[in-house]
Amino acid sequence: MQLSKEIITASADSIDDTGSHLFWRSNANESLSESINEFGQAAPILASKSDTGFKLIAGYSRLSALRQTNQLVLVRMVLDADDRDMGLLYLADNAHRPLDDGMRLAALRYFQPISDDKTLKTDILPRLGIKPKSKDAKLLLSWLDMPDNWQAHLAAGDVPLAACTPLNRMSDQDRLAVEPLFAGFSWSRSNAVNVLTWLFETSKMTLKPIADILQQSGMTNILQQGLSPKDAIARLCAAAKTARYPELSSLQNRFDRAATGITAGTRWRMVQPDNFETGGAELIIQVKNETQLKKAVEDLEIMAGVPTWREIWTLGGKND
Amino acid sequence: MTKHVELPVHLRKIAHVFVDESMQDSPIARRVRKQLIGTTLENIPWTTVSPDSDRVEFDEGDAQALYLKEYKGKFLRFCPGTRAYHCCGYRIIHIGENCPMACSYCILQAYFQDRILKIWANQDDLFKELGDGFGADPNTRYRVGTGEFTDSLALEHLTGYSHDLVSFLNDYDNVVLELKSKAVDLSWMQATKRTDRVLPAWSLNAPIINEQEEFDVSTLTERLEAARTCAQAGFRVCLHFDPVIHYPGWRTGYAEIIDQIFEYVKPEDIAYMSIGSFRCMPQLTPIIANNFPDTNYIYNEFVPGLDGKARLLRPLRVEQFSFMVDRLRSHGMDKQLYFCMESTEVWQEVFGYSPSDFGGLGKRLMAQAFGE
Ligand code: SF4
Repeated sequence: MQLSKEIITASADSIDDTGSHLFWRSNANESLSESINEFGQAAPILASKSDTGFKLIAGYSRLSALRQTNQLVLVRMVLDADDRDMGLLYLADNAHRPLDDGMRLAALRYFQPISDDKTLKTDILPRLGIKPKSKDAKLLLSWLDMPDNWQAHLAAGDVPLAACTPLNRMSDQDRLAVEPLFAGFSWSRSNAVNVLTWLFETSKMTLKPIADILQQSGMTNILQQGLSPKDAIARLCAAAKTARYPELSSLQNRFDRAATGITAGTRWRMVQPDNFETGGAELIIQVKNETQLKKAVEDLEIMAGVPTWREIWTLGGKND
Repeated sequence: MTKHVELPVHLRKIAHVFVDESMQDSPIARRVRKQLIGTTLENIPWTTVSPDSDRVEFDEGDAQALYLKEYKGKFLRFCPGTRAYHCCGYRIIHIGENCPMACSYCILQAYFQDRILKIWANQDDLFKELGDGFGADPNTRYRVGTGEFTDSLALEHLTGYSHDLVSFLNDYDNVVLELKSKAVDLSWMQATKRTDRVLPAWSLNAPIINEQEEFDVSTLTERLEAARTCAQAGFRVCLHFDPVIHYPGWRTGYAEIIDQIFEYVKPEDIAYMSIGSFRCMPQLTPIIANNFPDTNYIYNEFVPGLDGKARLLRPLRVEQFSFMVDRLRSHGMDKQLYFCMESTEVWQEVFGYSPSDFGGLGKRLMAQAFGE
């Protein structure tokens, strides 16, 4: 592969810009159009000769801006480029662009059929800013095995990269069931991974398909309530966790109710410190002066007389 | 053409023997060679490991290698109990590492990622260390076992290790040896002089767990038949329910095996019986999910326990324990029952007492091991 030294001009319509190596194609943004109108085309696009004219190798946005204003295009010719060369030149020409995971996946999808696994990992990934041995490298490569609709969700930013691990463990049917969770909400990495993992594990634990779990846990209903994304995600997370840990959640709810009953009207807080391994409770307070300390002691004394303590200590025990 | 005999099923994956140069003429190496003659493994390669090579490489898919090694570390160790739960205070005689059988819940998967079954072939060093320890004060009693980093009897057919150990310990009245296994091999019996100083022990589980989660092991019936043979020969046996698994239908499964026990042995034949719920280092769960994709019991209400290990939520453990203890009590079991690594709360809830009420678990088990 070679780049010509000379720059030629061509009409925009003679340049074919549909090649699959243009995997991040996007139309010209306003500032690029303005700059071209003000100063003209500062950098030539790259193209190769084709039977019908030219084939665009890199410079899609510039070409679309020039086409809009009917201007001639400055072209630097690329000679003897195969599919891999075209992809690499396109990458190099777009090196300034900030990348997201969807863009990285699009690039990997282009290179996958024309590269072996090792090249993909050790040559292409670093060009996308990913270390070959990193966790993200592993995740990105796993996304290549995901169905197209899920790859589209990643590209749209609906689902985080790390969600691939739990999604990969699911059956097609279960993946279909969780898809509505990602239509319309943008999930954080941890929330998405937690919810998907809880759903997958609940399905294993109860031997039920995820669709049933979504229904029974009320998650389907939450999706239909028209809540704000923040509220909806918070409630979906809570519902999935309750489905995954029903006994623990029930104990925690009862503990919280009893604890609130005991500490109501005081600045004391009560927590269960060890996942109910013991019947213990931890009381916490922050005091900043003598008056607060005195009040804390008085409150504690009153709290000590509340009969609800018995419930706290026996929670999770045999005679609970 | 000579017909080759098959080795027991759990030994058939061995495809290579490595032996440290210094161990080539050890009794263990000679015995392994002899035991392989006439078997389907007669011609597997033997490789001598020179003293300057620091590790043995073996990676042939499902195949296993046996490595007869000169071990330089300590043979007699303490059980790695934690302070948060009551430990049985057992001492470990370290005879090797890794196991040819495969149980989905086995912790050894997290410890040893290779398929090399190591046997400490320098038995003279082992016996010297044990002799120094056990012989120092004949009034100090020891309850010891070999099944911590391996199964006590899994390689017995080839190595005769327990046979040698039993024979060596015949001279130490202050030591009771527990041989804990999921294999059936009673060849060590010929070496015993005192039936009250060896406790053959088998793990038991619900039948479906034995069928679906334990591979290349003996059946529950074979274990109970072996326990009966031992009891008839005058030994007391130990039976262990560890790990107890919480799966749909666990009541039926554990009731079935508990009832089956007493078709083979009487309560007085049983020195003690432990019950321990499945618990594991958090790193083990993904290993199990990877090695045993059909295993579902790992997806349950496990929470970090006081020792940092994942444990089933206490009410679920107590429910299972109470069910099992009630059933075992209905068959006449009582004081021989104990929990492996459980809290005072759980002891109290299930048994109505805790180890501090009888002076500590280690002390009680020591007395029971010595038949008091
Ligand atoms: S028999 Fe014991 S040591 Fe061997 S794999 Fe099973 S649990 Fe592990």
